[in-house]
This record gives sequence, C-alpha cells and structure tokens, in this order.
Amino acid sequence: MAGSQSSLREANRARVVEAVKRHGGLTQVELAGATGLSQASISTIVKELVAAELFDVRNTVRSGRRAQLVTLAHQTGLVSGVVVGRRQLRVAVADVSHEVLAEQVMPLADAHRADTSLDRVALLIVELLDRLGTAMDELQGIGVALPAPVDAATGQVSVRGVLRGWDNVPVAQVLTKRLARPVFVDNDANLGALAESTLGAAREARDAIYVRVGHGVGAGIMLGGRVHRGVAGTAGEIGHVQVDPAGRICSCGSRGCLNTVVGEEALLEALRTSHGSLTLRDVVRLANDDDPGCRSLVRDAGATVGRVVANVATAFNPERIVVGGELAETGDVFLEPFREMIQRQSVLQQAEPPVDVVASGLGARAELEGALSLVLQHIDVFETREGVALPPQPQEELL
Amino acid sequence: MSARSPVLALRKVSRYFGAVEALVDVDLTLHPHEVVALVGDNGAGKSTLAKVVAGVLAPDSGQIEIDGEQVTIPSPAAANRLGVASVFQEPALLENLDVTANVFLGQEMARSGVLREDEMVERTRALLRNLTVRIPAVDTPLRHLSAGQRQAVAIARTLVGSPRIVVLDEPTAALSVAQTAEVLTYIEGLRDLGLGVILISHNLNDVRAVADRVEVLRLGRNNGSFPATTSHEQLIAAITGAV
Repeated sequence: MAGSQSSLREANRARVVEAVKRHGGLTQVELAGATGLSQASISTIVKELVAAELFDVRNTVRSGRRAQLVTLAHQTGLVSGVVVGRRQLRVAVADVSHEVLAEQVMPLADAHRADTSLDRVALLIVELLDRLGTAMDELQGIGVALPAPVDAATGQVSVRGVLRGWDNVPVAQVLTKRLARPVFVDNDANLGALAESTLGAAREARDAIYVRVGHGVGAGIMLGGRVHRGVAGTAGEIGHVQVDPAGRICSCGSRGCLNTVVGEEALLEALRTSHGSLTLRDVVRLANDDDPGCRSLVRDAGATVGRVVANVATAFNPERIVVGGELAETGDVFLEPFREMIQRQSVLQQAEPPVDVVASGLGARAELEGALSLVLQHIDVFETREGVALPPQPQEELL
Repeated sequence: MSARSPVLALRKVSRYFGAVEALVDVDLTLHPHEVVALVGDNGAGKSTLAKVVAGVLAPDSGQIEIDGEQVTIPSPAAANRLGVASVFQEPALLENLDVTANVFLGQEMARSGVLREDEMVERTRALLRNLTVRIPAVDTPLRHLSAGQRQAVAIARTLVGSPRIVVLDEPTAALSVAQTAEVLTYIEGLRDLGLGVILISHNLNDVRAVADRVEVLRLGRNNGSFPATTSHEQLIAAITGAV
C-alpha cells in the first residue's frame, strides 16, 4: 500500500536523523550499521536529506580509507556551551540556530579544581569539533556557566570561598589562551533565566525569576526582559540569604544561609542515618520512587526555598517564577510546597495578575541553552542570518 | 546505601607470591548501588584483590562472602555464576570479530544449538544504548574501534549475564578526555542499575568523580577507608603512607 510505504520511508528517515544527532558525525557505512538499514537505502535517504538542506556531507578518513562524513547541516559558525556544575561538566557544540550537534557529559569530583576542570573543558571542545569533522576556526565563541556569582567585567568568580578551588581564576582568560576563541562567562542561574525567558517557560514574561535548586540554590532575575546582574554579579544569590540565625557557618562566611539548610551537603547529611551514603541524584530518584524519607526531605526543602523566593518575589513583583535544577526533577514533590509558600504571600496573590509558579521548560538543558545564547548575543551571526550581508566579525573585545 | 547488607564482603584475605606479600588480611565490603574505588601505589595489591574477586587467583587465607553466604571462587566461570563480572586492564576481546560477537563471546545466545543472531544484535544495541555508548554499528569489527569504544564493549560484555558485582581494573587508563567522560558516565549508569562496582584506578580525579567510598591499599594492607569527598591531599597521604 502506498500509504504504509511512505510512512515506512518516513520512519527510516527519522532513524537516520536520530543516529546522526546521537553521534555527531557518521560515515554512510557507519550509518547503515547504526540503523540496520541497507547501504542503498542510506545512500538514498542521505541524498534526499542533503537536498533538503538537513544534512551536510564532507570528506573524511576512516580506518585509513576515504569516506563521506554525514553531519547535520549547520549554519555558518558554530558556538560552544559549557556548563560547569558542582559534580558534572556538560560541553556542547551547536550551530547558531541552537541545534546541538555534539555533546558530552562528564562526572566531576566533589570540590573539583579550576585548573583540572578547565583543562578538561578545552580538550572536550577540541574532541567534539573533531567528532563533527570541523576545525577550531569555525567556532565563533564559547559560553561558560559557573555555579557561583560571576563578575561580568573580569569573567571570574566574584565572591571568594563560594566555589572552592576557583577563587581568583580568570576563567575566560584561561580558556581564551588555550583555544584562541572569545569566551563569555556568567552564573548558571542567570544563564538558566536567560534561556527560560527566550526559549523556555518564561517566554511571555518580561519580569520573571528563575530559581535553580540543585547542589546549591541560586536565582536569575529577569527585569524588563534583561538579566539583572547587580554591580558585582551577585544578584539572585539566594543560597546566601539567612534562614537560620543559629545555623551552621556557610562557605561564604555567614551563618545559617539557605544553602546550609537545603544545599546538597545538608540534604545528604540528613539522610545518612536512615539511608546511608547517597548522592543528590539518588535523592531525586528515590523521591520519585515514593521513598517516604526522601520525599519528606524534598518537600521540606521546597517549603524552605519557597519562603525565601516569596520574599524575593515581593521585592520584584515578577509575572512568573520558573523552578529548575536537580530537585525540580521531583516534580510536585518539590513544587507543591514551594508554590504554597508563594501563595501564602498575600501581596503576590491578591495582585492582578497573581504570580504564577511553573516548572522549568528546558529542564536539565536550561543552563546549556543559556550558555549558547550568551555567545550568540555577543557575536554577529544573527545579522548574517537576517540577510544583512555581513561576514562574521572576529571578536576583538573579550570579557 | 550502606544501610543495606553488603553484596560482597572480603574478610582477612591474604595472598602471597613466595616472599611477596601481595595481600595481607585485607577487608573489603561492597553494597548494591555503590561504587567503591580501590586506590594505591604500584604493587599495593589492587589488581591481586580484583583477581581474587574475579576467580582468577585463589586467596591463601581469609573468607569471601556474597550476599552474606561464604563462597569460594575457584574460576572466572564460577565468578560469573555468582554474579561477578570483571574487566581487566587489557580487555580480552577479539580484533577480527564484530561488536556483537565480542559482547556475547563465550556466552552466546542459542536455542537447540542454533545461534540467535538477531536477538544478540538487538540485545547488543540495547545494552550499548543503555550505557549511552557511542558505537555506531554493532557489526563493526573490533579493530576499527577506538580505545574508548573498546572499553565500552568490554563493559557492555559484563552486563550480558545480569551480574550484581562489576570489577573494573583501570578502565580509564590511556583514554582521551571524552572517552574517559563516557566511561565515567557508564560507571554512574551501572550504579543506577543497582550494581555494586569495584573501580580500580590511579587517577584520583576519576575516582572521586564517581565513587561513593575510597579504599586505600598500601603494601598489600588496608590503609584507610574514606568517603569520596575526602580531599586529594588526604588520599595521597594515605596512599604514600604519610599518615
């Protein structure tokens, strides 16, 4: 039947596209193996998709033989996004339309150091470009998200002690020296806010707060469609708002910060007697699997963070509050008590329209998308895309 | 999750090679859903210990318990039957066979003497996908794969028999950063599947990235057990015997 024939062809095409996305670049022979389709079908499908400008084909060498490398077609100019987390590194290469072409995640040690981790970032970017069969000169810039407040002028962590091992490290300079590309650095929650407000759950809101609850708590504040950084880049550092005047001393030097109550260390410590040694990922998984202990813990964390965000929101009157980060992956377990605390704040609820609390639209990818957006904001590829015949300008001025 | 009972426990295990004290009264416990790293200098006994667990070497004295029951592991086949899978420094893979054949080497799926090729191919694809392994084609001969991809095949191989304990001896040695990243991500995946993993490595960055606990061996003896959040300096002190 003609109908099923064409839907089969459609399905095969989808398989080929998925395989290319997954691997970054594949030769036609490898594509046949990866999809289980015949070489002839692969050849036909690749030809169709090259004609549809979805794929690019370039010459490469595999096992000493010449071969045709198939990649997703990308606009001129690539950008790299790097998300440095407390326990994980995510590096991606994308084109100017945010299409991620190659990506790699790497687990990191607790309190990993700037020198080792930035070395890994540089090598991973080189390897990802290699996977795509492209060279460094196609890369227009690199956007880096750090889990600490960042001074936009110097591109380094602006508060001592909050990210162990990264004090006084000129992140942008270190990477520029290694890769000779422009590097832009910002705080992870700020970049999450940027991504959510351009691509995610806060697209329609001009004033919004993005709250990132993971190994620590941070927020990105969007005012009038722009990220509000503050004079030293510490705006939105709600992990360092005092919630317990008699609490523990925080890494920042103050007492009883929000992070000392709902940060990774505090959460895992609270579970040690009952559950033994867990990771934050375990807590999220167990809370989703109905483990009563982990659920109580995440619920209480939701309420504690909610109380702080209710105060922040009172100060800024946002239209929308977007919640992301690892703990948000527990869905309503975290979000329900969080939302309740926001709703208790009568100024926020009685105002018209009342503030609205939603889960992140981009999930774990928010910070990466934000890092890509950060680079794209700084380079000129958009103008060429709009049809203005400007070649991509080499970026002289670095952050 | 140390609250649960261990899946593997070694008690006072010793092994001598003539006058060489490879292992002396070594204790080690491993729980389900836990990655325990074994670190130590060259000759500290890490690989000997791995071989004892894998059934390659028999201990001269001491006890091994799996799920609380005392066992002997006289051969690698016996280890397999007890749910122990191992990947050694130089994985025993065959260059001229493809990925599927290597994954199922010695553990082929067959029905009444006939190999179930299609099922093996499907199962290999599924295993590699679960491990988020970047190997394009399961019919690629092994000689065409990179070092990282081979390591992935060796790890996928261990999962065929649905083991409960996986022993990895230096899985990231000689790999590029991206390949190391992949292997560390598989190790997290094994832990998420609820397996107990023994990870032997020289690289403290890698160890501290994925392990729950670090056991230090020195001159064939236990020299301390540390949470993975312990600093580099403290671990190095324990490895070199400075403490």
